Amino acid sequence: MNTLSLTTTDLFPGNPVNPVNPVNPVRPPPPRASALPLPASAERAEGRAEGSATPRPTPNPMPTPTLTFINIHRTVTDDALCLLTFDRPDSAANVFDSATLDELDAHLTHIAAHPEIKGLVLLSAKPAIFIAGADVHALYHTISTPTADTRAQLTAMVERGQQLFDRLASLPIPTVAAIHGACLGGGFEVCLACDFRIASPDNATKIGLPETQLGILPAWGGSTRLPRLIGLPAALDLILNGKILPAKLALKKGLIDELAPRENLLDAARRKLASLHGHLPHRPRPTSLAHRATALAAPLIAARVRNQVLRKTRGHYHAVIKAIDVITTGIRHSHEHSLRLERDAFADLATGSRARNLLNLFLLQEHAKKLSYPAPVGATIAASDGRTKRLPLAPSPLVAGGEVCMEISLKQNPPLELLPHPATGAPSIARHDGAGVPTGRAMLGAPVSRDEIPPREALSTAPTAPRVHTVAVIGAGVMGAGIAHWLSSHGVRVILKDINAAAVARGMSAIQKLYDDAVKRRLVTPLEACTGLDRIQPTATDVPLRHVDLVIEAAVERLDLKQKLFRKLAAQVGSNTLLLTNTSALSVTQLGGSPGVSSSVAGLHFFNPVHRMQLVEIIVGDATAPATVQRAVRFAQQIGKLPVVVRDRPGFLVNRILMPYLLEAGHLFTSGAAIEDIDEAMLDFGMPMGPLRLIDEIGMDVSLHVAGTLATAFAPRLTVPAVLQQMIDAGWLGKKSSRGFYDHQGSSAVPNALAARFTTDTRSADLTHQELQDRLVLAMVNEAARCLEEGVVDSPADIDFAMVMGTGFAPFHGGPLRYADATGLREIVTTLDALSRSGSAGGPPASPDSAANRFTPCALLRDLAAVNGTFYPAPGTAGVPACEFGRRLAASSESRGEDAPPLAVEDGCATKATPSRTPSHQPTAPAAHPPFATRNSQL
Amino acid sequence: MKTPRMVIVDGVRTPFCRAGTDLAGLAPDELGRIAVNALLTRTGIDPSCIDEVIFGCVCQPFDAANIARVIALRAGIPESVPAITVHRNCASGFEAITQAAEKAAAGRGEIFLVGGTESMSQVPLLFPQTAAAKFTALAKARNALQKLKALAAFRPADFKPRIGLLLGLTDPVCGLNMGETAELLARELGLTRARQDAFAIESHKRTLAAREKMAAEICPVFNAAGTALATDNGPRTDQTPATLARLKPVFDKRNGTVTAANSSQITDGAVALLVMTETKAAELGLHPLGVLTGYAYAGCDPSRMGLGPVFAMAKAQDLTGLGPADADLIEINEAFAAQVLACLECARSEKFARKVLGRPAALGEIPLEKLNVNGGAIALGHPVGATGARLVLTTLLELKRRSAHRALVSLCVGGGQGAALWLEAL
Repeated sequence: MNTLSLTTTDLFPGNPVNPVNPVNPVRPPPPRASALPLPASAERAEGRAEGSATPRPTPNPMPTPTLTFINIHRTVTDDALCLLTFDRPDSAANVFDSATLDELDAHLTHIAAHPEIKGLVLLSAKPAIFIAGADVHALYHTISTPTADTRAQLTAMVERGQQLFDRLASLPIPTVAAIHGACLGGGFEVCLACDFRIASPDNATKIGLPETQLGILPAWGGSTRLPRLIGLPAALDLILNGKILPAKLALKKGLIDELAPRENLLDAARRKLASLHGHLPHRPRPTSLAHRATALAAPLIAARVRNQVLRKTRGHYHAVIKAIDVITTGIRHSHEHSLRLERDAFADLATGSRARNLLNLFLLQEHAKKLSYPAPVGATIAASDGRTKRLPLAPSPLVAGGEVCMEISLKQNPPLELLPHPATGAPSIARHDGAGVPTGRAMLGAPVSRDEIPPREALSTAPTAPRVHTVAVIGAGVMGAGIAHWLSSHGVRVILKDINAAAVARGMSAIQKLYDDAVKRRLVTPLEACTGLDRIQPTATDVPLRHVDLVIEAAVERLDLKQKLFRKLAAQVGSNTLLLTNTSALSVTQLGGSPGVSSSVAGLHFFNPVHRMQLVEIIVGDATAPATVQRAVRFAQQIGKLPVVVRDRPGFLVNRILMPYLLEAGHLFTSGAAIEDIDEAMLDFGMPMGPLRLIDEIGMDVSLHVAGTLATAFAPRLTVPAVLQQMIDAGWLGKKSSRGFYDHQGSSAVPNALAARFTTDTRSADLTHQELQDRLVLAMVNEAARCLEEGVVDSPADIDFAMVMGTGFAPFHGGPLRYADATGLREIVTTLDALSRSGSAGGPPASPDSAANRFTPCALLRDLAAVNGTFYPAPGTAGVPACEFGRRLAASSESRGEDAPPLAVEDGCATKATPSRTPSHQPTAPAAHPPFATRNSQL
Repeated sequence: MKTPRMVIVDGVRTPFCRAGTDLAGLAPDELGRIAVNALLTRTGIDPSCIDEVIFGCVCQPFDAANIARVIALRAGIPESVPAITVHRNCASGFEAITQAAEKAAAGRGEIFLVGGTESMSQVPLLFPQTAAAKFTALAKARNALQKLKALAAFRPADFKPRIGLLLGLTDPVCGLNMGETAELLARELGLTRARQDAFAIESHKRTLAAREKMAAEICPVFNAAGTALATDNGPRTDQTPATLARLKPVFDKRNGTVTAANSSQITDGAVALLVMTETKAAELGLHPLGVLTGYAYAGCDPSRMGLGPVFAMAKAQDLTGLGPADADLIEINEAFAAQVLACLECARSEKFARKVLGRPAALGEIPLEKLNVNGGAIALGHPVGATGARLVLTTLLELKRRSAHRALVSLCVGGGQGAALWLEAL
């Protein structure tokens, strides 16, 4: 219900059937006649309590008086049920951080000591989150600052949860998890430790174990209990793919036992408990026949699945392989043994760089969802003791959880069934009504105490942009139609305009097809597809645009046409309308053109296909007002895209870094490297698709257009291999014409044998995969470093995030700059120098000059390598991924003179100067226009 | 207080396409949504300021009850704006407009989105009532034996569908099909087959000539195949007296004169109009197409329903003082050529005026130069619920084009009614 923001529960908060709000003064209703109170069998319960494996003695039956319950509230009902309600304060999300674990521990101790309690129900008071999972931020902090005992810490952390959940599982009373909202990772593992799981059939309810998507595995008993609950094949499918299921599907797959509307969850739990008539439910032992049968088949299943996964992922995703091992081995052994396997595997994975990189990307993604521009002043928490404190990165629930990696692994891991945005087919998980992403900060929440969390107002001082209701998309081509489809599926009304009815008709047909596909794949219901399509108002004539909130121009990529269009649009739209361009190569500043308008012009660069690519670049022209950027950022977030704010430089960020890589592939091909060798080398590196195949997908003409823009801007460093034009001349445009570097038939592609006629020599024919990778990857690294150097973005994290989200750059490498740091910048510079020198000898390029230019390491790389530095702060110095550019800049932009060096190397960590060295717009409002740094910039 | 005048600000329609052709796949609510959507887009009006949505639809689909509400919500009109579906048979499109006028006059709103929609392609086939009873019995059967028994009760005749469209076009009171009422008029007034056919050919001719003009009132329908449908597909270029003469009469195969070619076509389409009080339009700074200055609905003999326009025009004259002679343009919806010709005969007949209308003088001559100047339903088709709104839209645009002043627009209505609207250009 996009428009319905209120539920009757919200309207009538005192509604006594709402059991989940412990603050609610209305006490839970007395048991109904049908819900028989459990027979008092205290003796039996006591006996069990003694026999149960409570690991710790409980000398004091009362909860430890020193521990106050902040995150989990306990109430005992008249019918002797204990309700544990998770309700993390000042947050929309519940999360298993250390404090919450402590509280659960104390509650369990209390319950074990009170035999009069007849049953336990776990609840959440949050509207959209049950428990979002473990504290990812704390975990990232631990593994990104490795010390000698990191492994021991991790093992202890895992063991703690395992023991706690084991105690829950062995309580002498029946237990029910009453799930409403996202129930993920550790949040679902605690439910697995309960006897029953009842979930609301609400759109907010999403259940799954997405850990492998973050490079780790479910280790709080999830990898052990889930296969025992739903069987080995089903559990493997869920855990290996990090699937997150809506409640109905979860019921079908056996993850939950029953569905009940949110308002009736507690009643349903009561009924379930009453149906036991005071007995404990059957708790199957791992020695049961069914388990033994599964155990017999386990090795076979393991081998098969492992082969499948290796084929698809080339072994890059260690977590998946480990999970296969743990699950299939664990099921043949005791519960305890299986838990030990979980622990060991978790520690192995979490201490590796892949998990760190993937977790970091997840946090960056969360950050992008909360990005604010300029960074809200109020978000700075100047603690009274003078220290600045770390604001939790991006406060957002894990709901959006596996998105990072899910998106990444789309191509690599085809069977991955993404949980669609119900209205769109987009692979997002929670159904958020645009900006309605819960604003809780819990899950990445402050590591320790509550008083570190800034007051809510501090965050809300960020300038907020109004929700966008109506957008005009100008141009109904591939991008225009893709954008219109995406917007319409996210509740935005769209006026889709093109110059003639035939063009509009093609666009509408493309949109229809996108919706049809989504329906076919059951990502949306036919009704949702119809509703989305209804939001589009196609037109081929001039219509009033005064009332639209923003215009996205996606017309033909010709500067003169676009300038004309912008002049016309500026006259048509209202004074408060944003004018955004989806150009991929033209200068936003030049497009903005006429004064008075240009302040509300910015770039909003979507990637193709729009419904698959989560990244959008927001391009800030010279005259773009900060408020415009802020609104563009908010808009991107409203429609579920991840924004990265980029300065108006040729190619912006992603294309600029990608293009040298694609062109290098072209050069290599021209000089004799085989198509399959080039692409295989990069698949081995971990790319979802080889560069030549990617050129085919993008289209030869589009590639050439973007390459041309960049080559002009960066001549003579960048040269375009002739093969692109030659293929266009031959009518080979790539996938769209069924032929390019490959012959395409449907989804299959075989290298185009005829393409060999465009190779000019054989210098690169014998390059090894490693050599090919070097050339191709370093082309990106070098260009990425240049972008940092030029201040296209503010931080290495921006670049890495954009490259992973925008191009699928092997996510476990963390991005080109993270990869460079890991490889060592000295080695990178050495390799680049060697390539640069060998240009005329073994290298592919046509002229030695261009070779030297192409591979010559940029100044930033050289400078950093010279001091043995890194792009990111060295491990151990900071837990936060981004260099703290912002803070330094914020501090320096006031004190620093205009002649400050463009780049400073401080502490071996790259720091760049403020972007606006050119005095064009700096003097106007230096303070009001702080540098882009938004990532924890002022903390 | 002076009764507020209702102005028609703007309007748009889908192309009208013969049933079973280009628009056959679109349900009436979808057709209506497309028209409303296009109207909102091209006027740029804030939909939340609309007071009510009123839509005419004759064959209201079972899966879109109160189709006006379905159309309104699907077109993005806020849920706070109420919607009502109206049904006065062929005059449903008029009814939507006049009801808006009446609501405004009663102080119940100022801005209305009105129109009509019809998918005659999608009028369903029905099971006979006997079969329905047997299906109910089957559903109630508890065990296998009962089920078997219930199944055994079915007879082949139970599965003979009743054609919804045919039922809708048959008057249950007089028992005549609409075409049969036209045959009756043709017989009684001696309207020959040749005259009817000539009228039909003229209708096609005029419609074809107006094609370019009509494009202004059509919003394209973008179909899944990737084409933009923006042309009415009813008008034919191959109509000659000889080809038409070859056709068999439909309703009275032996002696009849009414054929498929001199009757209105069965068609899909929708129309949407934005209407509001004159003061509101002025307040918003809008330049309306025209204003509704008077109207009348009149009843008549159901078996001669085709004469309805004459009754309505007479009644409207009583109310407004205006007769056919005062109109620059006159529309009589072409349900059947025979029926329009009958109206012309009766309008000029003093005898008819005295005997039937109870008036001393004839209503007046309706010259063909003023009548249906852009053709009519014989060529363009008659999506029953939408036609009324289309007549208003087409006529207002034509008044504008001719810089003419006044128009009289009328319809005959199945069941024995007539409707007449007086419009003035602004």
